[in-house]
Amino acid sequence: MNTSYTAITPSILEELKAIVGEHNLFTDTERIENYSHDETSKEQFSHMPEVVLTPISTEQISEVMKVADRYTIPVTPRGAGSGLSGGAIPIHGGIVLSVEKMNKVLEIDEANLTVTAEAGIVTNELNEQLKRTGLFFAGYPMSLETCFLGGNIAENAGGGKAVKYGVTGRYVLGMEVVTPQGEVVQLGGKVTKDVSGYDLKQLYIGSEGTLGIITKATIRLLGVPKYASNLLVPFRTAQDAISVVPLIMKQGIIPTSIEFMDKSSLEMSCSYLNESLPLEGVGAMLLIEIDGTDEQQVEHDLIQVGDLCSGHKAMEVYIAEDATTRERIWSIRRNIAEAIKVYSPIQSLEDVVVPIGSIPLVLPCLEQLSGKYNMRIPCYGHAGDGNLHATLVKNPESSMEEWLEMEPRLLSEFYAFIVGELGGKISGEHGIGLKRRSFFKDVTPRPEYQLLCAVKQALDPKNIMNPGKILL
Amino acid sequence: MHSIVLIKQVPQTSDVQMDKETGTMIRSGSTSILNPLDVYALETALQIKDRNGGRVTVITMGPASAVKVLKEAIAMGCDDVYHLNDRAFAGSDTWATSYVLAKAIEKIGIPDLVITGERATDGDTAQVGPAVASWLDLPVLTYVASIENLTSDSLIVERLIEEGYQRVQSPLPALLTVVKEIAEPRLPTLRGKKRAMATNIVTWSASDLDADQAFMGLRGSPTRVVKIATPKVSRQCRMVKVEDDDSLIEAVDQLFTFLEERDLLGGLNA
Amino acid sequence: MHEVWTISECHQGRVKDVSYELLARGRSLADTLKVRLGTVVIGSNINTDDVKQLAYQGADILYLADDPSLSSFVCGRYAALLLKLISEKKPQIIIAAATTSGRTLMPYVAVKAHAGLTADCTELAIEEGTENLLQTRPAIGGNIMATIKTPGHRPQMATVRPRSTKPLAAQHDRPFVVEEVPVAPRSEKSSVEVLGLRGLEGQSGSIEEADIVIAGGKGLKKRDNFVLIERLAKAFGAEVGASRDAVDRGWVSYPHQVGLSGKTISPRLYLAAGISGAIQHLAGIKTAKCIVAINNDEQANILGLADFAIIGDLFQVLPEIEKRLEQRRKA
Repeated sequence: MNTSYTAITPSILEELKAIVGEHNLFTDTERIENYSHDETSKEQFSHMPEVVLTPISTEQISEVMKVADRYTIPVTPRGAGSGLSGGAIPIHGGIVLSVEKMNKVLEIDEANLTVTAEAGIVTNELNEQLKRTGLFFAGYPMSLETCFLGGNIAENAGGGKAVKYGVTGRYVLGMEVVTPQGEVVQLGGKVTKDVSGYDLKQLYIGSEGTLGIITKATIRLLGVPKYASNLLVPFRTAQDAISVVPLIMKQGIIPTSIEFMDKSSLEMSCSYLNESLPLEGVGAMLLIEIDGTDEQQVEHDLIQVGDLCSGHKAMEVYIAEDATTRERIWSIRRNIAEAIKVYSPIQSLEDVVVPIGSIPLVLPCLEQLSGKYNMRIPCYGHAGDGNLHATLVKNPESSMEEWLEMEPRLLSEFYAFIVGELGGKISGEHGIGLKRRSFFKDVTPRPEYQLLCAVKQALDPKNIMNPGKILL
Repeated sequence: MHSIVLIKQVPQTSDVQMDKETGTMIRSGSTSILNPLDVYALETALQIKDRNGGRVTVITMGPASAVKVLKEAIAMGCDDVYHLNDRAFAGSDTWATSYVLAKAIEKIGIPDLVITGERATDGDTAQVGPAVASWLDLPVLTYVASIENLTSDSLIVERLIEEGYQRVQSPLPALLTVVKEIAEPRLPTLRGKKRAMATNIVTWSASDLDADQAFMGLRGSPTRVVKIATPKVSRQCRMVKVEDDDSLIEAVDQLFTFLEERDLLGGLNA
Repeated sequence: MHEVWTISECHQGRVKDVSYELLARGRSLADTLKVRLGTVVIGSNINTDDVKQLAYQGADILYLADDPSLSSFVCGRYAALLLKLISEKKPQIIIAAATTSGRTLMPYVAVKAHAGLTADCTELAIEEGTENLLQTRPAIGGNIMATIKTPGHRPQMATVRPRSTKPLAAQHDRPFVVEEVPVAPRSEKSSVEVLGLRGLEGQSGSIEEADIVIAGGKGLKKRDNFVLIERLAKAFGAEVGASRDAVDRGWVSYPHQVGLSGKTISPRLYLAAGISGAIQHLAGIKTAKCIVAINNDEQANILGLADFAIIGDLFQVLPEIEKRLEQRRKA
C-alpha cells in the first residue's frame, strides 16, 4: 500500500485555509500537540500532524478531501481523542481533521424514534438533549462524558451496557460519509430494514476512519427505562466470580451490565477514591445492573440474580437501589482506568473478547503471564460480553527499555492464547488502530486479511484515509 | 444501647437540572431518596450496635412513599422502623415536625441516643435535631465528627465547629447530629433487603401519638411561607483562554486586573 | 416597645466578627420599627473593648452574660439563660448567626419559646403595616428564595448567614447601656462539659469566615497535586476549600468541603480550580461575592456562575498566579 505522501506546502495550506477559513486551521506547535495523541501512552505512540483542521460542514470536509486526494496527503479523522488504540494519531503527519465543531443535533424525530446529529456531538450531550423526550441513545461507552458520536460509530464502541443493549452499531440507521475522494454519500436512512445492495453502512461502522469520514448519523432511540438497580457481589476468587456469569445469562434475565473487577483493580480504584469497601479476602467482584420499566419486575429480577450469586460462592451480596449508592459503586468501576494511570502512567490497556463460556480460562492465563513477566496486570471489564480489559502496567521499578521489550512479547503470547485457544478476538471495543496492527496481522488468517486489504484498496486506492491503521 | 435515628426523604439533587437561561432549577422526575446526610446517622447507630450491642430504631415522618427510606434502613441493618404518616402532619415546619418526632420518641421510650444527620439537603435548616432535643429536654451535641468513650451513661464526642474540633462530654441520654466525617456508610445487603421486604412497617397517625394536634401540620407551625421567588443569576463571566505561554501570561494579567478592580488584592499589595 | 435583639457570639473572650454583621441587620430593623436594638453577649472574660465596639457599631443596650460557665458554647446552658431573658424582656425579634452555635441554640430556644424560626436568612425586612419580620432565605440549594414570616408568634427568630452583610462603621459617640445578666449556678442536670479544642489541620480559620477561599477539585487528579491549591491559598492569605470529589478521595479533610454536603460560604473571593461545578457544589457558593474559575473545559457548569474564568490547564495557570503573587509581595 502507498505510504509516500506529499508534504503540506504553504500553497496547499492556503488552499485549505480558503476552504475552512483561518479560524478552523492551525499549525502552531502548542495547539497541534493536542492532536498528536489519544488516550494511549504518549511516549509510545504520539505523532505530530502538519496541520489541524476543524471544519464546520460536510461541504468543507468534502472539499478538504478533494485537495488531499489531489496531492496525496494523509488525512486522519478525529473525534474527542478518547480512543484507546491510537486510531486518531496521524502517524504519517499530514492533516488531522477534527469534527469537534460539528456538534449539533439536527433533528429529533419522535414519531420514528430517531435522532439525527452531527458527528462531533458528545455522547452524553446527545442524551441530555433527548431527555425531555423520554428517549435515549443506548450506546454507553465508559468515556461518554467526552467521546463523540462519530468516534463511537467509527470504533463501534461498546461499553458498560452492551449485555442488554448491544454495541453502538445496533443503533445506527443511517449516516452521511465523505469518501476519500471527497464524494458525499448517504447510507441507510430511517428505515429499520434494508437489504438494498451491500450493507456499506455496516462496513463503515467500526472502520476506524480508514474508509471515509462519518459526518452525520441517524440513530435509533429507545424509551428510557425508568428503574435501575445494582448488585455488587464479592467473591473469594476471580474464578468464582467469572464462573457465575454464564449462569446469570442462562436465567432468562438479561442484565444491563455485568462488570468484572479483579482484586488489583478494586484495590487501586478504592485506594484512589478513598473508598472503604471491605476487601479482605475478596478476589474479585461483579457489578450487575438490572433496568426496566416496572419497579417490581426490576426488584424481582435483582433478587433472583442476587440469590443465584449467593448460591454460587458469593461472599456477600450488596444491593444498591437508590441513586446515591448506585453512584458510589459505579464510581469504583469507572475510576479503575484513572486509578491505574495514577499508579503508573505507562501501561497497555487491553481489550480482548472471548465467548462468554471461555471467560474463566482467561484469568489463569493472565496470572501466569503476570508471574512470568513480573508485571501487575489488573483486569476488569464487561464480563457479560466476554470483553475484559486486562491492563499491563509497567512496573514502576523497571526501565522503559525493559517495558518496551517485554510488552510486545507478553501480548503476543496472550493474544495467541485468546485467539488460538479460545476463539476470541484481540479487540472487543477499542479497535485495532495503530497499537494492535501488527498483532492483528499475526493472528488473522491470510485469506481474511487479504479480503480486508482488498476492501481498503477498493475504497481508498491512494491510502490517504487514516493510513497505517488496522492494516499494515 | 438503644439508638433512635431520625431520617428524612428528600428530592434527589442529581435529578435536578439547571435552566441555563434563568439559572433556576428544573425538577425533572423528582425522584425521592434518603437524605444523603442521614446515611451517616444510620451508620453511626449501626456501628454503636456492632460494638456495644443493642438495637437501632428508625423513625421518619412523611407521605406513604417514605416507606422506601425505612426499608433501606432495614437493609443496612436497622432493627425497628416507624413511619409517621398522617394528613395532619402535612405542612409542618421545623417546630411542628420536631414536636411530632419528639412525641413518637416518647411513645417508643427515650433511648440512650437520638441520632440525626447534620441537616436535610432540601430544607437545609439543621433545626429539627436541636428542636427535638428541646422538646425532650435532652442534651444536644451538634456537628459530631467522632465518638469516643461511649459508656452506659455518658459519652465524649468531637464536634466540628468553626474553630476546630471541640471535645465535649455529655451524660446519656443525649441527641447527636452527625457530620459526614463520622463514618463511612456500609452498603445495604440482599439479606437486609429481604428482611426489609418481610418487615411489617409500623405506621403511626396523629391519633396514635399522645400529642396535641394543634401543634402539628400547617396549623401548628409558627412560620408561614409568603413568597417564593426564583432569583436570576446576574453574573457575567469574562472568559480568557490559555493556549500557549503568551496567552497564559496574558490571562493571568487579566485576572490580576480583574481582582484589582474589585479590590480583592487589598492586603497583598506591595 | 419590644426590642430587636442580636446574639453576639464570643470565642475565648473575643466577640466574633459575625456579631458586628448581625448588628448592621438589627440596626436597620430596629430603626424601621423605632425600637431599641439590644444584643445579648454570652461568654467568659469578655474583652471590654469588644463590648464597647458592639455599642459603637449599632447596639443600644448590651445584655452581658459573662461567666466562666459560659466560656464555651453548651446549648442547654446558653438556652436557659436566653430563655429567662426573653421571658423578662419580651423582645420582638431575635437574630443570631447561622454558625454551628447559632444553628444549635436558636432551634432549641424556639421550641421552648414557642417561636417561629427561619434558618440561614440572606435578607431581613419589616413588612409595612403588620410590622412582621420578613425573612428571606435560599432554599433547594439556593435555586429559589423563600420569604417567610411568623405572624402569630413572638419573638420572631432568624439565623443569618455569616458574611452576608457588612458591619456598620463605628460611631464612638453612640450612647449605650450595659445590663449585666445574672448567670444561674450550673445545674447538675445539664452536666455537658467542654473538654478542649483541637485546631484544624492546615487551616488558620474556618472557610465560612474566610475572606478568600481557594478551592480545588477532581481536576487536580491526585492527592500530591492538591499542594498547588494549598500553596496558592497561602500566597493569597486564604483558606483552602474543596469539592466533594476531592474530599471523598481523601486529598483534603472534610472541614474544607464546600457544597450541599459541606459548607455554604460567602467569601469575597472564591477561586475554584479543577472544579466542574456539580449542582451540589454550586449551591454552596451562590452567595460568594466574586467567583473565579480555572478549568480546561469550556462547557463546565461552574462557568455559569463565575465572574471570571481562565480556560486552560490548571497545572500551568496556578503556578503562574502564585508566581505573580510572590512578585507582588517582593516588589
